[in-house]
Amino acid sequence: MSVNQALAQVSGDFLIAALVIYSLAVLAFAGDFAFGRPSRAAAGSARDTAEAAARVAELTAVGAAAAGAATGDGGAATGDGGAAVAGGADGAIPPGGAAPAAGLPSRRQSAFRAIWEAGPWVRAAVTLSAIGVVAHLVAVVTRGFAVHRAPWGNMYEFVTALTCVAAIFFGYVVVRYRAWALGVFVMGAVVVALGLAETVIYTAAGPLVPALQSYWLSIHVTAMTLATGIFFVAAVLGIMYLVAERYRARVAAGKAPDGNGLLARIPSSAQLDKLTYRTVVFGFPIWTFGVIAGAIWADQAWGRYWGWDPVETWAFITWVLYACYLHARATAGWRGRRAHYIQLLGFVSLTFNMLVVQIFITGMHSYAGVH
Amino acid sequence: MTDVHTPRESASGETEATRPFGENETEPDVSGSGATAGWPRWAWRQLTSMRTALVLLFLLALGSVPGSVLPQQGSDPVAVQQYFASHPGLAPWLNRLGLFNVFAAPWFAAIYLLLFTSLVGCVVPRTLRLAGSARTPPPRAPRNLLRLPHSASYASALAPSAAVDAAAAVLGGQRFRLRRPGAGDATFWVSAEKGYLREVGNLLFHLALLGVLVSIAVGGLFGYKADKLLVEGQQFYNNTTALDEFHPGRLVSGSDLAPFRLTLNSFSASYFTTGESRGQPETFHAYVTYSPSLGAPARPYDLQVNHPLSVDSTKVYLIGHGYAPVFKVTNARGQVSYQQATPFIPANTGTMTSDGVVKAPDASLGFIGVFVPTGIMVGGTLESVFPAPDAPAVSLVGYSGNLGMNSGVPQSVFQLDTTGMTKISGSPHLLLPGQTWKLPGGRGSIAFTGYKQWVSLAITYDPGQVPALICGILALVGLLLSFLVRRRRIFVRAVPSGTGSVVTVGGLARTDASGGFEDEFASLAAELAVGGAAGGPASDSREPSNQSETGA
Repeated sequence: MSVNQALAQVSGDFLIAALVIYSLAVLAFAGDFAFGRPSRAAAGSARDTAEAAARVAELTAVGAAAAGAATGDGGAATGDGGAAVAGGADGAIPPGGAAPAAGLPSRRQSAFRAIWEAGPWVRAAVTLSAIGVVAHLVAVVTRGFAVHRAPWGNMYEFVTALTCVAAIFFGYVVVRYRAWALGVFVMGAVVVALGLAETVIYTAAGPLVPALQSYWLSIHVTAMTLATGIFFVAAVLGIMYLVAERYRARVAAGKAPDGNGLLARIPSSAQLDKLTYRTVVFGFPIWTFGVIAGAIWADQAWGRYWGWDPVETWAFITWVLYACYLHARATAGWRGRRAHYIQLLGFVSLTFNMLVVQIFITGMHSYAGVH
Repeated sequence: MTDVHTPRESASGETEATRPFGENETEPDVSGSGATAGWPRWAWRQLTSMRTALVLLFLLALGSVPGSVLPQQGSDPVAVQQYFASHPGLAPWLNRLGLFNVFAAPWFAAIYLLLFTSLVGCVVPRTLRLAGSARTPPPRAPRNLLRLPHSASYASALAPSAAVDAAAAVLGGQRFRLRRPGAGDATFWVSAEKGYLREVGNLLFHLALLGVLVSIAVGGLFGYKADKLLVEGQQFYNNTTALDEFHPGRLVSGSDLAPFRLTLNSFSASYFTTGESRGQPETFHAYVTYSPSLGAPARPYDLQVNHPLSVDSTKVYLIGHGYAPVFKVTNARGQVSYQQATPFIPANTGTMTSDGVVKAPDASLGFIGVFVPTGIMVGGTLESVFPAPDAPAVSLVGYSGNLGMNSGVPQSVFQLDTTGMTKISGSPHLLLPGQTWKLPGGRGSIAFTGYKQWVSLAITYDPGQVPALICGILALVGLLLSFLVRRRRIFVRAVPSGTGSVVTVGGLARTDASGGFEDEFASLAAELAVGGAAGGPASDSREPSNQSETGA
């Protein structure tokens, strides 16, 4: 089937539009960073805390009063009880940052209201990002229709799709965890990757060689695209963690003032650590599935399910490194900074596989289409 | 390979609740007490410690790197030879270290065998511990539930014992394992635990990886891989003499091969003719007929890339294709001494410019040739501009003399040893189909009568393949279970308050990998509050607060 050039053109235009809108979103995120309401995150969490404490008191009081009313007994004892419970609530703040629930924001407040209240810069940045994602999605989908197949048959299309996954996944992180403070970094990285795809490895819409004409393309490469997009976000979070952790250590050592400066704006290192972990936990099974699907496809196409082709080898190395991270995080003496270095090493190996091995090392996976 | 080795010992009542699955498991003390039990025990503990497993995992990743950077014997032996030629000083050293065959090297095997030993040493005790913990009830409820990471409280109109009973009923209904106070305990509480599948998943994942390794070993011992180049019209029997290359597993003998016969009737390739992808292949079809066994009727099959042919459990793959120009060579007396299709090897897969040789020892003639499917002359040299055979041509350089084929030294059919031969003419001779080149000096002639196409087939049998796939899927299932299921404990305590009671609920989750325990705890606490306050006017469905977030 021939390529629908008009539709391919539409796809290219939408991608440029997405790139421009994303760039504006990054500017808005940066604007929030520079000029937005200071110590917003701290205020927000303080408000949450106060709200929670108030609720405890209210609930206990109401419940106790009701119980009292039901039995006609005096209110003094129940009042004491209520006070005791509320007091207990204050004492319940987990000690130190290592407690399992060291507070990612809850969903109690609607995420959209929270974004609205976060100020004009965040409002503009999130809105622009959302419009950018729509344009990006249109670009990916129209490319798929233009070439009559899953639109990730060469490196340009692969990067286009994985940045789309990263942007969408980041949208989820913003809604779920209110982590728009990370926008300038995540969306900045998306813009850089997309810009490089557009300029360095651009490949015109074209048909596939017979080796790629298989429904396993949609399965294997889709899984790899999703996992890469998610690991991309995890890598940005990991770098943020290292920055935040350094800041935390400096504050703890009295070398840096607490609560001001740009670093006070990003989530705490404990929150970033947890968020990174959950992101990798989300991506790792998808990567595993992608490798298994790739093995099945390799068996269909080449007569062996695993042959230590360079790309296979690096997919394996990447898998082992992320497995290292997951284990390191559960091992005393390795969690924290060291675990994050391993995670970032995993992403380096993933990127090396994508940009160096697939393009410059000859193997059976030489489909990048970059000349 | 696991995140629990030896649970931290702690007798304190407050931490008893968290004891078997706290996040801070420490490594076994390998330096002190272990020494009394002798060094084998010490070594075993070292090997099965998480640190060692981590280091081995690292080494596994690191050890794989040379396998992708250096040419490998298994996948590209020609490239290894080239590397030896271009790095004569370095290559022998790399070879000594096994770096041209990394994935079969003893040191690589040592890494993964140690890793899997470490894994087994970790997984087996864990299986036993899991079986044990499935029988023992959850720990007693800690005294102050509000100290737990997740807690809530509500007032109940019920007496403490009834309030705890109600909570136990709610928890029991959600298939938590329960523990109630023993005789002599005057306080009112219930402990509940759920999520043992997390451990099951973790074990399944690691055992399944072991299964993958075993499956690969089975494939290596009992499987085989073979190659066969077949020209249109030719057939072959699947036995060791007919195959071009045969790589049997260690426990495979030649008689184990599936006895099928296969004929290549025709091959067709189509290419894109326009646009940027001009010359890119669109489809490959090898039309074959095969008989699964001797005497069985022949069946047709359209063999394509991504569509292998299965005969019993042996598979036949279309791996490559090329052109085989047909030559007729006559000797000085006019007798035909060579007449056959001669496979040429593509030197450029984009244009299918192909190289090959013609050896006619009876005529004492040899030719080195280039075949072009769509040829044009560019400045006196023949070049191909398109991979389809639109204007085929060959260009030949002739040699006469002894080809050395009777010397007993094996020769490649794709190379001509010209050491004992003399070159016939200065410039290469161009032939179009049907043309004949009469060699000078009455040495004979060579005619280019036409061309056929050939395919290269891979024939593989791997009995480890299906087990490897099953183990891979099980590993994925185990991974998902261990990430999605969380082992969690819920504790409920009630103290009298007036005629009713104040009930506190505490919750604790082990590594909550995918998150969400906050939400689960909140809704569970709400349910308990509704159930526990049943009958009382306080049962308006107020949500208990979840104080876990106050630590933000």
